[in-house]
Amino acid sequence: MLVFILRRLLLIVPMALLVVTLTWALIRVAPGTFYDSEKKLPPAIEQNIRTKYGLDKPWYTQYWLMISNVAVGDFGDSLKYIGQSVNEIIWRHLPYSATIGVLAYLLALIIGLSAGIIAALKQNSRFDYGAMAAAMLGLSVPNFVLGPILVLVFALGLYILPPARWGGISGLVLPVITLAAIYAAYIARLTRAGMLEVMRSDYIRTARAKGLDEKTVLLKHGLRGGIIPVVSYTGPALAGLLAGTVVVEKVFAIPGLGNIFIQSVLNRDEPLTLGIVAFLSILVMVFNLIVDISYGFLDPRIRYE
Amino acid sequence: MKATRFTTFSLALFITLSLLLSGCTSSAKNQYFGQTVAPSENVFRYITGSEPESLDPAIPNGQPEARILMALYDGLIEYHPVTMEPIPAVAESWEVKEGGTEYIFHLRKNAKFSNGDPITANDFVYTIRRGFRPELASRNASLGYYIKYSEAYNSGFAFAKGTDGKFLLKKDFVDMVEASTPQEATPAGDSDFHKFLDEPERLTVPTSDKDLLKLTDSDPKLKTALQGRELVPVRAEDIGVEAVDDYTFRIKLYQPAPYFMGLLGHQFFRVVDQKVVEKFGDRWSRPENIVTSGSFKVLEHLPYDKLVVVKDLNNWDAANVKLDQIEFYPLDEQTTMMNLYKSGRIDAIYNHTVPAPWFDQVSQYKDEYLLSPENASEFYVINVKKPPMDNQKVREAFALAVDRDAFEKLRRTYKPLVDFVPFGIYPKYEEARDKIYTQELKKQGSSLDEWKARKFNPEKARKLMTEAGFPVQQSGSGWSCPSFPVESVSITYNTSESNKSTAEFAQAQWKQNLGITVPIKNMEFKTFLPLLNKVDYEGFGRRGWVGDYMDPYTFLYLFYSPNNTGATGWWDPKYDRMLDEANNTIDEQERYEKLAAAELYMMQKQIVIPLGVPGTSWLKKPYVKGLYPNPGTLHPWKFVYIERDSAKWDKNVDNLMSEKNPVVEEQVSAIMRTQEEFVKSKQGETKSAPVE
Repeated sequence: MLVFILRRLLLIVPMALLVVTLTWALIRVAPGTFYDSEKKLPPAIEQNIRTKYGLDKPWYTQYWLMISNVAVGDFGDSLKYIGQSVNEIIWRHLPYSATIGVLAYLLALIIGLSAGIIAALKQNSRFDYGAMAAAMLGLSVPNFVLGPILVLVFALGLYILPPARWGGISGLVLPVITLAAIYAAYIARLTRAGMLEVMRSDYIRTARAKGLDEKTVLLKHGLRGGIIPVVSYTGPALAGLLAGTVVVEKVFAIPGLGNIFIQSVLNRDEPLTLGIVAFLSILVMVFNLIVDISYGFLDPRIRYE
Repeated sequence: MKATRFTTFSLALFITLSLLLSGCTSSAKNQYFGQTVAPSENVFRYITGSEPESLDPAIPNGQPEARILMALYDGLIEYHPVTMEPIPAVAESWEVKEGGTEYIFHLRKNAKFSNGDPITANDFVYTIRRGFRPELASRNASLGYYIKYSEAYNSGFAFAKGTDGKFLLKKDFVDMVEASTPQEATPAGDSDFHKFLDEPERLTVPTSDKDLLKLTDSDPKLKTALQGRELVPVRAEDIGVEAVDDYTFRIKLYQPAPYFMGLLGHQFFRVVDQKVVEKFGDRWSRPENIVTSGSFKVLEHLPYDKLVVVKDLNNWDAANVKLDQIEFYPLDEQTTMMNLYKSGRIDAIYNHTVPAPWFDQVSQYKDEYLLSPENASEFYVINVKKPPMDNQKVREAFALAVDRDAFEKLRRTYKPLVDFVPFGIYPKYEEARDKIYTQELKKQGSSLDEWKARKFNPEKARKLMTEAGFPVQQSGSGWSCPSFPVESVSITYNTSESNKSTAEFAQAQWKQNLGITVPIKNMEFKTFLPLLNKVDYEGFGRRGWVGDYMDPYTFLYLFYSPNNTGATGWWDPKYDRMLDEANNTIDEQERYEKLAAAELYMMQKQIVIPLGVPGTSWLKKPYVKGLYPNPGTLHPWKFVYIERDSAKWDKNVDNLMSEKNPVVEEQVSAIMRTQEEFVKSKQGETKSAPVE
C-alpha cells in the first residue's frame, strides 16, 4: 500500500511538468501576445516589452528558463497583473472557488446520496420516478440557465438574496445551489444504479441469509459497494470544483480561480496559465490517488500490493 | 410513462414560471428601475470593467483602469466633468508659448501626495521621464512622443556628434513642415537646458547595428553624414521636460500639437512619488506600498472582487471632494451588472454595458439610462493591398451598399456615420468640415448633399461595381455579381454578440444590394489582433476607435505615418503633410479646416467603411449627481455626490449634459478661477508692456 502511494506521488511531479510543457507549447502556437491591443504599438515599444520579458531570446532558452523555475515551484510574475506573482494569485483566489465548490459538493452529496438510495430501495415507486425525473432535469438544465432563473426569482423578484458578488452567507446561497444541482442529479443517478446492482448481488443475498437485519445489510454491505461509482466520480469532480467553475463564477461575479484561468488564457498571460494548469493537474492527480486508496477501504475485493 | 408525464409537467411549470417572472419584471410601472434607495453614507459603488492590470498610472492603457487612476492620481490638469476640456489640477494655471511648442505650468504650492510629501515640478519631471524609460516598457509611451526627444529616448536612439562637437540636425535629413509662427527670442538668464531645447531639433538614429544599417542602406546621404561621427545615446535628461523652479514646470514639444493640453489628463501624465517608486520597484503600486496623488487613496484591494478607495485628506482639493469612499467592482459580465444595478447594490456602471435584450426595458428610464454621443467611431477597415479590394471603385461600392439607417435600427445605440471623425462631439470642427467639403466637392463637380447621400446609395454602388469590372446583374427580384471573387474577401471580427450582428447585417446588405455574399469569420480577440495589425486579413476587418483625447486628430492620426495603426495597409505622404500643416496652424478654425481637408482626402480613398457613432449607453441611479455621460466616459470623481433629498433627484431629464447643476458649476468655476485670473493678468501685462 505504502509503496503504491509513494510510486504514485513520485509520478506527480514529472506528469505535471509534462502538462506544463504541452501547455507552454500550445500557448506559443496560439496567435497573439499579452501586449497586443487594438492600438498597434510602435516597433520601439514592442521591442522594449520583448526585451523586458525575455521574449527576444531563442525559444529553447525561454523554455529552459521557464521549466527550471517551474520545477522548483516558481512560476514568476503575471504578465498582465504587474507586480503580482502567479503563486500569490492562485493562493489568493483558491479559497473562493474552494468554498463554493466544497459547499456545493457537500450539498450535492446529501441530496444525491439520499435521493439515490431511497430511489433504489423503492424502485419503481412514485418517489423513484419523481427523483429520477428531477435528476434528469437537473442534468439537462445547464447552470448558466439555472443561475439566472434563481437570480430572477430570489434577487430581482423577491429581493431576498444578492444577485451576485462575494460577501456573507446570503451571497453563497445562489451560487452553491446553482453549482450543486448538476452534481446532485448525477450523484443521485450513480447511487441509484450502484445500489440497485449491489442489492441484487450474491453477497447481499448471503448477508440476508445469515440473518442480518436489513439496516446492517444496507449500510454495512450495500452502501459500501453501492457508492463506489460515486467515489470514483468524486475525485475529478472535486478537483474541478476546487479549481473553480467558470460559468457560476461569471454569473455571480465570484473572484474564483476558474474565471481567472479563462481570463489568463484570453489575456495570453503565460505564467498565470501555466501556474493554474500545473496546479489543476496536481490537484486531479492527488484526488485520483485518494480515490484509488479509498477503494481499498470500501471494496474488500480490491487490495494494493 | 409516469416519469415522462412528470417531466413534461415540471418542464411546463418551469417555463410558465420563468415567463411569468420575466413578464413581471419587464413592465415599467415604477418611476425608477429596480430598487432605488440612496445610500445613507457618502459611499459610491461603481462598476468600471475588468480587473485593473496595475495601479501604476504609467502601465495600463485601458478605460477601466483610466477611471480608477483618475481617482488615485492628479495630473497637471483634470478633465471637465461634462465637456472633458482641461481644467486646473496640480497646475493652477498654464500658458502656451513658442508657437504652441512650449507649455509652462504654474503649480499650486499646497499639492501633496497621500503620504504628505509635497508635489513639485521635479515630481512631474520624474514621472514623465520614467514613463519613457525603455525598461519600463510602457505601452502608453507613444502618447507623449510629441515631447522633444522622448521618442528617441524611449526607442534607445542616439544623437550623432561630429569631431567639431556639432550634432546632425533633423531638418537636413527629413522633410519637415515649417511652423507658421517664428520662434520667440530666448530671454536672458535662461537655463542651459532650455537653450538646448530651443535649438533646432537634432537628428536621432538607432544605436543597434542592425537597425542603423537598415536605415543607412536606404539613405546614402545619411550614411555619408554619419561617417566618423560619435553616437551619443539620448538620455532621460535630454527629454523636453524641465523644472524651472519647484513650482514651475515646462514642457517642450518638437512640433506644435494643439490638442496636447487635453492629452495631459491621461493617466500616463499623472504624478507619482519618486521615493516610493524607486524604493519598491515593480511592486510599488501594491496596496501595502502605494502612494498616490489624487482625491482618493487606496484603502483595500481584493483583486477581482473590489477596490476600495477613500478620500485623501492630504489632497489639495480635499475640502471639495464630496464622496468619502468609492468602491470599484471589477466586473465585465453585462447581465450580472444589470442584476446588481436593478437590485440596488451598485449606483452606476460604465459605458456600453446595457445588453441588447435589456435595451427596451431599460431605455424607458430616461433619468437613469444615459445615451450621449461618444468620442468614438465604429467602422470596417479594408485591406487595400489585396485584390479585388485594391480597386477604389470596389471599395466605394461596398461602402455605398450599406444602409446606415437600417444599421441604426439594428444597433440601437448607434447613429449613422458617413465620415470618419464622429459627429456630435466637435461642433466647431463639423462647421469647418461642412465648409471645406462644400468647397472641395464643388471643385470636383459634386456637392455636400451628394456626399451625405453616401449613407446609402445602392444604385451608385452597383454602377461602380460594374465599372470596376464586376458587372452586377438583375437576377429575379434581387441582384447577382457572379464575376466577383468572393473567395478572396471576408468580414473578420472578434467574437462578440454585437460584432456578430453587425457582420451579419453587412453581409445581408451586400447580398441584397450587390448580389455578393461575403463570408463571415469570427475569431477570439487576441487571435484577431495580429491579423489586423499586420494587415493580414482579407477584405474587411471589424474596428472601433475610441479617441485618446478631445480633438479630431485622435481619429485622423490613425492613418498617419507609414507604420500607422489604421490596419488598412494604406499610407500617403500627402495625407501626412496635410495633417502636419494643420497642426502647425495656430488659428483653431483654420486648423480645423485643414484637418477637414485631410479627412476628405482620406475618406475619398475609401480605405474604411464608416458605420456609426456609438452612444455612451450606461446607467446611474437618480440620486447620483455630478456624474455625466461625457464623450469619453471618464469621470473626475471629486464632482460626484449622493443626493439624499429625493426632491433633487434627476426627474424627467431630457439631456443630462445640458442640465444645469449649480453645485457642480460652482465647483468647476472655483477651480477654473486660477487659470482665468492668470490669463487676465497676462493680457494686462501685454497691454501695458512697452512696445519694442
